[in-house]
Amino acid sequence: MNFISPGFALFLSIVFLLYWFVFKNTARLQNILLLVASLVLYAFFNWRFLGLLVFSTLLNFYIGKLIENKKDRKAGKWLLAGGLLVNLGVLLYFKYFNFFSSGSILQVENILIPLGISFYTFQLIGYLIDIYNEEIKSCKDLLVFSCYVVYFPKIASGPIEPAKKFLPQIGVKRSFDYALATDGMRQILWGLFTKIVVANNCASFAQPVFENHEQYPGSTLLLASFFYLFQVYCDFSGYSNIAIGISKLFGIQLSRNFNAPFFSTTIREYWQKWHITLTSWMMKYVFTPLSFSLRYLKKAGILLSIIITFVTVGLWHGTKWNFIVFGLLHGVYFIPQMLFPKKNNERLSHRHTFFLNLARFSKMFGLFFLVMFTCIFFGSRSLTEAFGFINTVFSGSVFSSVVWPPFTSAFKTFITALFIVTLLATEWIQHPRSHELQLDHIKSPYLRRSIYIAIILAILLFGSVMHINFLYSRF
Amino acid sequence: MEKNAVIKKAEIIIRQVLKKEKFEWKGELTAEEVNGWDSLSHMIIITELENEFKIKFRLKELNKLGNLDSLITLIQSKV
Repeated sequence: MNFISPGFALFLSIVFLLYWFVFKNTARLQNILLLVASLVLYAFFNWRFLGLLVFSTLLNFYIGKLIENKKDRKAGKWLLAGGLLVNLGVLLYFKYFNFFSSGSILQVENILIPLGISFYTFQLIGYLIDIYNEEIKSCKDLLVFSCYVVYFPKIASGPIEPAKKFLPQIGVKRSFDYALATDGMRQILWGLFTKIVVANNCASFAQPVFENHEQYPGSTLLLASFFYLFQVYCDFSGYSNIAIGISKLFGIQLSRNFNAPFFSTTIREYWQKWHITLTSWMMKYVFTPLSFSLRYLKKAGILLSIIITFVTVGLWHGTKWNFIVFGLLHGVYFIPQMLFPKKNNERLSHRHTFFLNLARFSKMFGLFFLVMFTCIFFGSRSLTEAFGFINTVFSGSVFSSVVWPPFTSAFKTFITALFIVTLLATEWIQHPRSHELQLDHIKSPYLRRSIYIAIILAILLFGSVMHINFLYSRF
Repeated sequence: MEKNAVIKKAEIIIRQVLKKEKFEWKGELTAEEVNGWDSLSHMIIITELENEFKIKFRLKELNKLGNLDSLITLIQSKV
């Protein structure tokens, strides 16, 4: 299921028209349409896993109700344990079976991964735990609950929505909100720009280099790491913006997933702005219980919990050792900050200032390179490849001239770099706003339209369809 | 223990953990509204509060906390 395809555009247009013209009268009708459309789209991608999705939905719906109805806390605990076991069991079987049976997914690929399984399973686990902790009531309406699980804008790659935020929205009738719908369109446009123009052009350079790194000097590998980080960021943030934008067309607000992470000055801040819904999930359901049980070890307990949490983040991405090292490195990056905390007098809302000072810039720059280093593990196919890649980057060949991968040139790469600068400048200017194309503060309609036209032209003239699939759809 | 006495001690701990010289106490303030009060510092604050008041929190109780007032009420119920 790719958001960027004529088939999806047609599907979206039909569902949108039916939703607001035919099924508009009650929440129930709207939800029936959303459920049917979501299931049809999921089946279109791979009908064989539709049964699994329906099974997970029904199981968690009834377990949630049973947990809530149990007066005896011990019985509730057993039900929760059973629910978690089934959810994690299914996830482990489909996503990690190959890893545990062979040590590397590259050697066997007998088991296909159901679309969005990591995303919807995490939502369901969170749902059961929240009911057990009496943070939310179980959903009493199977139709509403099914929409929560299978809602098509978010099922493939999130955002991972907490039930507390999503269920109240889907439980009531949505009325057409012109401002929200146009805002959604703008967010979709920005998502298309970051994916088709920035991510795909970065991929044209980074992908061939990562796939054949032994053929390139250190200078090319260093440049490829830079472009790969922007590819991952623009690919996934682009996807997230499109998903959130599509959902706004149906009057449903999804959570923000990225918030200009490269302007962070600490790793802690970075993870509060990168894949926000996954970080929030991990912090709530992995870090908090873990650090709570290890809190008597003081800072050592907190550090251990951070490292375990980020190794879990790595494992969530995939079944290869390089993902584990990726997570481990991010966990390790927290150590200096935990051991030597700085004075903190700023209010979060006042932290972003328009003019950048040198101290802040150097911190941002340093952090960017630390993150870029972890990206080598993220983008390599194995740990051996990642170490080979790093060896070359830290060799004398890093000073040799760049060897251009096929279908790229110095000019094309320069243009891609210009788009990255445009992206960062836009993020910097638009930082306090809910997304980068939130232009309500620009009073002139001509200027706003000129910006939209410029973006559409950039997509048409410089967009690349060579790497059209979204990276995170495989997670 | 009186509410004001609990607030006074809790405020000192929060200032120390968050490394803040200026921290204006408001009962309705939530953790998200305080710069630096994230999951990490939250757990350090909780541990320090347990040590200071010689109490033990349950994870379930912490999950339900809404703002500073609810934290103080929870501490009061335990001391």
